[in-house]
Amino acid sequence: MTSPPKSPVRLGAIGMDQRQLNALSLLFSSKCNNRYILVEEESAEICILDLDVFGGERLWEECRERHPDLPLILVSLKTRSISDSYTVFVQKPIPVKLLIMAIEKQRRLLLITTADEADLIDEETPAATEMKALERPDTPCEAPRAPPKVSRAASLMSVTEEKHFVGTAQDIDSNNPAQWEKIFYNPDHYLLGHLQQALNLAVKHNRNVAVEGPWPKIHLMAETHTVRVYSEERHLRPFCTIPDSTLEASLRLFDEVKSQASTFQEYPVYAFFWKLALWASRGRLPEGTNLTQPIYLRRWPNFTRLVVTPHAIAIAATWTEQPRSLVDTAAALGIPQRYVFAFYSATKAVQLAGETRRAVDTLLAPQSIEQSSRRGLLGRLLDRLRG
Amino acid sequence: MNDFKIIFSGPVGAGKTTAIGAISDIDPVTTDEQATDMTKVQKPGTTVAMDYGQITLDESEKIHLYGTPGQERFNFMWDILTQGGIGLVLLLNNTRPDPFRDMHFFLNAFQAFIASSKVVIGVTQMDLSRTPTIEDYHLQLENSGTKVPIFDVDARDKRDVSLLVEALLYSLDPGLGG
Repeated sequence: MTSPPKSPVRLGAIGMDQRQLNALSLLFSSKCNNRYILVEEESAEICILDLDVFGGERLWEECRERHPDLPLILVSLKTRSISDSYTVFVQKPIPVKLLIMAIEKQRRLLLITTADEADLIDEETPAATEMKALERPDTPCEAPRAPPKVSRAASLMSVTEEKHFVGTAQDIDSNNPAQWEKIFYNPDHYLLGHLQQALNLAVKHNRNVAVEGPWPKIHLMAETHTVRVYSEERHLRPFCTIPDSTLEASLRLFDEVKSQASTFQEYPVYAFFWKLALWASRGRLPEGTNLTQPIYLRRWPNFTRLVVTPHAIAIAATWTEQPRSLVDTAAALGIPQRYVFAFYSATKAVQLAGETRRAVDTLLAPQSIEQSSRRGLLGRLLDRLRG
Repeated sequence: MNDFKIIFSGPVGAGKTTAIGAISDIDPVTTDEQATDMTKVQKPGTTVAMDYGQITLDESEKIHLYGTPGQERFNFMWDILTQGGIGLVLLLNNTRPDPFRDMHFFLNAFQAFIASSKVVIGVTQMDLSRTPTIEDYHLQLENSGTKVPIFDVDARDKRDVSLLVEALLYSLDPGLGG
């Protein structure tokens, strides 16, 4: 019998009646040494959803809208194929061992996110051994897609974080306009757009602005150039990642209330907009961006106080050397376009980057990136710095 | 045995010793001596010789991290230290009376080395003094014709120092990663 980990995994159950909940609770306490506990959906790390309940498909869709990348376990009497890497399927009636295996698979996704190695199951524990034994080709449990091999440049960001900020979009053919619509988003349809309006208002009046809507309370503080969010980040993120042009924001000027009873997270304006732009972009570009116009970088971003997406430093170094188009940047660096698109979205949101307007910048094709004679050495040092 | 070095420089109290310690594989060798001049007021253990740290890449390759003496009267050592260097990490203390003067002084002093390599700038103590801002530093260099990475850095934080050095490496070769 293994001892339970420091913090049990919090599981939410969707579309289950009280009996099913009781059965799961009993299972977790009696067979799993309280490694897992049932909680409300809002505080769950992993959710189990019964598709066979009335409206099960709709519940699934709604759950995904609320939590686009929450690890999810779908159960149903009918087998199905799942392509979403955050979701696994287990056919009912569920063998206990398969359910535990599915939970542990989803739990590993969480561990990639949190990098909390202390919570990793010891590979030699009986539970781990048992799970390994259960891994078989004919398992009805759809295994999540293996995380992509983490490149040198991506090592500062976990796989899950990378999906949050950069997405997984494939490269497009820039000569094929039919593919363009996939890579554009309208910032005005996201919380980012409302925040940009609020910032303009705060600057114009040099006063604080409250951004009110269905999202958690947000205050732009004019004097300190900070943003206060009166909630945890995970409650804010859905409003930043899901487009909804019907959402209306109310912008209200206010003076600071001296005694703020509630707690808040405070961000520098610059870092907050950077993050919101990445969440909205997910590897796409603001509408109207010209794919072939060279991009300039006004100055280096203050990377130590920002979310650093994979290859961001390389892209910054490239653009500070010479303006270069988005498509050409990706090709010159040999990286997927989404990394360039995400970085451009973030730098554009904080007004660090834009399309060049000088004729000279489009006159000649950009030079190839000069390779240092010490590239091997520099690469090995980079690997060491990133552990 | 291939040995290369990165130079850390900057005025007294900028965090050179601490930054080297943040990324070094070995306990940094610090030849701190009790200062006898006015710098004693600013920092009790002011470096009058130099700091040394090391990153081991493999059995035959090491990166040496050298911290230059903070005081200008030791600048005769700087030319010697920079020979064969990969690049310069310039640390500036934002609480100093005139950090812009510090920046221009050190960029000028290492002009020849920077011309043959690259420089990155880390501004420390920004939690104690919020101005000048990072934007202000960039504006100071606007007419220099080059865009230098300038980051807000906590010299004790390995991530901050690592990012600064990474920016140096990518400045030397943007096609490095992948």
